[in-house]
Parts: sequence; C-alpha cells; structure tokens
Amino acid sequence: METIRGKAFIFGKNIDTDQILPGYAMSVPPEELGNYALKGSSKPDFAEVVELGDIIFAEDNFGCGSSREQAPLALKNCGLGAIVGSSFARIFRRNAINIGLPVLVTNDIERIIKESTERDVFEINIDKARLKNISTNKSYNLVRLSDTTYETLQAGGLINKVKKILIERGERIEQ
Amino acid sequence: MSKINIIERIIAMHAGKEVVSVGEEVSVTVDLAIAHDVTAPMAIEQFEKIGVSKVFDSTKIALVSDHNIPCSSVNSRLQHKALESFSDQYDVHYFGRSEGVIHQIISEEKLYKKGDIIVGADSHTCTAGAYGVVAIPVGSTEMAAVMALGSIDLEVPVTEVIAINGSLNPGVYAKDVILHVIGKFGTNGFTDKAVIFSGDTIISMNNEEKMTIANMMIEMGVMIGYIDQGDEEIGEVSTIHEISAETIVPCVACPSSPGNVKPIVDVSGVRINQAVLGSCTNGRYSDMEIAAKVIEGRKIAKNVNMIVFPGSKKIVEKMEKNGLTKVFRDAGAVITNPGCGPCFGAHQGLLSSDDVAVSSTNRNFPGRMGHKDAQIYLASPRIVAESAILGYLSSPGTVMPLEDE
Repeated sequence: METIRGKAFIFGKNIDTDQILPGYAMSVPPEELGNYALKGSSKPDFAEVVELGDIIFAEDNFGCGSSREQAPLALKNCGLGAIVGSSFARIFRRNAINIGLPVLVTNDIERIIKESTERDVFEINIDKARLKNISTNKSYNLVRLSDTTYETLQAGGLINKVKKILIERGERIEQ
Repeated sequence: MSKINIIERIIAMHAGKEVVSVGEEVSVTVDLAIAHDVTAPMAIEQFEKIGVSKVFDSTKIALVSDHNIPCSSVNSRLQHKALESFSDQYDVHYFGRSEGVIHQIISEEKLYKKGDIIVGADSHTCTAGAYGVVAIPVGSTEMAAVMALGSIDLEVPVTEVIAINGSLNPGVYAKDVILHVIGKFGTNGFTDKAVIFSGDTIISMNNEEKMTIANMMIEMGVMIGYIDQGDEEIGEVSTIHEISAETIVPCVACPSSPGNVKPIVDVSGVRINQAVLGSCTNGRYSDMEIAAKVIEGRKIAKNVNMIVFPGSKKIVEKMEKNGLTKVFRDAGAVITNPGCGPCFGAHQGLLSSDDVAVSSTNRNFPGRMGHKDAQIYLASPRIVAESAILGYLSSPGTVMPLEDE
C-alpha cells in the first residue's frame, strides 16, 4: 500500500465522536463534512490547518461514542492520511477502515509523542507496519493489520469488497 | 457447563456452524438491519455505489426518521426524503411520522425475536440485547453492505459476564445500575468484547429496565451487549465480575463522560437550568411514571427548562390516557414529539456555554447537547424529576419520600 506522509496532530484519550463531528453537523452533505472535522474538540480549527497526508496521534479509545460514519469521513475528507493510536473504539475503527481511512494501533504512542516536536514529519508504511519520524530518523512498530482489515483497505474500502463478493456469487451488478 | 456460550451459540447458528471459537472470523446472516435519518442517507448512497438491483430481504430492513423530526434544517429534510424514496423503491419498513426512537419502534413492532442477530447503524442498537438478541452497532457503509448481502463478517468476541445479585436499595433504578458498572469499568472497559448482564437482580427486572441497561452497554465499548434471559445456561465465558446489588447507590455521570460516575450525594446542590427526560435509554412509560409521581402537583423550579421527549407514539398515548402529559405540562415542562430530540445536540433544546443540564439520556460528551462547554449530568428519571423541581441536583427522596412510590 502507498506510503502515508505528513505532520502529526496530537490528541489525548477518549476523543469521542461528538468532538470529532458534532451532532448539528450530521446532516450536512458528505462533501462539506471535512469543514467540520474535530470542530467540537480542543482543536476546533483542525479542518483549516490540516494538510493532505497529515496524521493524528491519539491515546486510548479514540472515536468512542456514536456510530456516525460522518466522523471518520469528515477526517478523511479534510485530508487526513491516517490515525495512529494506542486503542480505538470498535465502531469508529471499522467505519474508518470501511471508507479507506487507515487506523493503526501502536504500543509506543507515548514514546512517539515524547520523541517528536510539532514540526516533525512522519511516514507510515502499512505493509511493514512501521512508523518513521523522518525528522529524527527514528522508527516505531505498529500493530500489523488483520488480513481482513488489510484486504478492505487495499480494496479502497468495504464497498469494493462487497462488489467482488456479489460478482463471485454470480449476481448482476452495475459497474 | 456447556463449553460454547450463549453468544457463541447465536453466532454459530447464524454462521451455519456447530461451534465457533474466540477470534475466529465468521460471516453471519442478519435477521434485521436498521438505520435512521442521520445514518441511512449515507448507507443508501453507499448501497447505490454497490450497484445491486435489490436488497437482501425487504422485510428485514427498517428505516426510522427519529433524530431530526420534524426536520430541523433543510439538509435534514433532504435526509428524510432519501429514506422515503429508498423505502418506496425497495419496499422496506419505514417509520417517518415521529412514531418514535428506532430502538423503541423495532421492539414495539416486534421486528425481532430472541436469538436473532440485528445490525444497526446506530450505536445504541445494543438496546435489543435486553431481549436475548445479538445486536451489533455499525456505521453506514457496513449497513449498506448488509442491505446488499444479508450477512456481516465479524470476529467471535471474548465474552465476559457481569453478575449482579441481591436487592437494590430504595431510589436505585436500572439507570443507576448501568452507570455504576460503567463507572467501575470505564468507557473502554469492554472494547470489542461481548458482555452478558446476569444475576438475580438483572433477571428479575422488567423489560423496560433491561432495555435501559442494554442501551448503555455501548458506553463501555462493547461489541455485543446481552441480557441473560434466565431460561438457558450461559455457558463458558472468560471472566465473571460479581457485583452485590446492595453496593449500588443512586449516582450520576458527571461532565463530560459517561464513565465519570459519582454518587449523587457527592454532587447534590449543583445548580441546573435544564432537565431532560426521555431517549432510548429512559424514554419509556415506566420512566415517565417515575418522574410524573415526583412532579405531580408541583412546579418545575424557576429558571429550569424541563423537556420531556417520550420514546414512542405508543408511550405518549398511554401517558395521555393516564394523565401524565397533563402532570408534566401543569408543572411547566415542555413535551415534545417522540424522537431523539435534545439528546444529540441538533435541535429541541440546545444548551449554551454556561448551561448545566441533568438528563436521563446516555451521553454527556462535550457538545453533546449544544455548546461544548455546557455541563451535562446523566441520571435516572427519578433524579431528573427531583432536580427539576428543586433547581439543583438532588438525591431521590428529597422532594418525595422514597416510601411514597
């Protein structure tokens, strides 16, 4: 899979979906969702400052709360490349993977944050399950994705995978 | 003790297997797939991208407009229209006239039965676990996949039991029980796990109380929340957590996490200016009755807005028949139409930065009910009602003696 490269934004633990995408923004059209990414968090200007490929470092339980897929979609649409965290809430994690936004677990999040500065640039190699701080030349291990998760990400999300299953079943689908 | 547990039994049955084991990836058939007005539109869009000409089974899909009803914005109107036209085209169940909150509706309409697997594009889909159902909350894309395939891939989870035995103290309700447990184990206490609530305290509860408990199990990160029906052996689980019912006291989840649980006595006296009664957690008739008994013949405190939003039309009808709506109105409360209303911060009673609310709902994250600095205390309907009368957080029994229930 393609390498992800960008600077990092640091978030603490228990960042819930209301902070990632507030309830009032759940009705906006998908193409506008990016403007509301993390609007309810301690970094309400996130959508304005994030650049394509940037990464979020998060502590435990990122994405807890509701099932709103608008939350990971807002993050993806504003240009975020990946989220690296010590743990993720289940629905958020699956939603992100299903729309092709990599969420990666690491046991080293504290060290990664401690050994970096705001200006550092990072690179993620999903195939090798490695995160590299380009600025300091230090590398860190990520937890390898399960085969199913890897397949879904590689297919560009769940929808493409479902199409494949239906074709294998011999069902007619519009391409 | 049989080796395979009750959750695994349901999963195995739906995977066409005799047994399944923890960690195994299986594809299971789905008996009911549900979504509402803020999750279904994206699911419909994704479904259309799949390019399939039909849904797997139109009788097994239910869409409900409950979050923004009546529509709170032009965009929410468009969302309702997406549900309407999808249900017209594919002939799926659609409830679009404020019949109630999705979890309440699918229960009242008996769209599922014990032993089923439900998939829902709403995190509180686990409410159905009250009836011995494996109910799995998902997002919109997974909902779309289920509508096309009729199945979902999942990994067999580790199962743990929370066994609660003994008699509950006066003033302690199902809400206090679940808040106590969330406070004890934390908001990620059971991430990716199946959790079974069991023990004589739980089994002897009525269905409405069981729904309150099942509803909030997602707040501990569970994959599956399940209530022991008491009619078959649970089987082998990884851990059993024993809790004595007598140790549970009336409590609240303080700002800004459902896991920040404290005994009500520790925060009694905190001034409030909004009291919210309703939701898929505590919007059922018995909840309304508990609150109405406290409120009857009294007035909501000056400077407190009380909003009552019943869980369904059927609940409202019963409230009207038995005079509960009059009790609330006479006291100065606003009764809204059934739906999700003020619970999720889009309409019907938003808070400003310096507001403090006590609410019978399920989440108090920053911004959940409006401004991110507003403070929300989650509590039982009893605490909501007593606090609404006094204007500050109050223990059950302060306004009306507990023995007068």
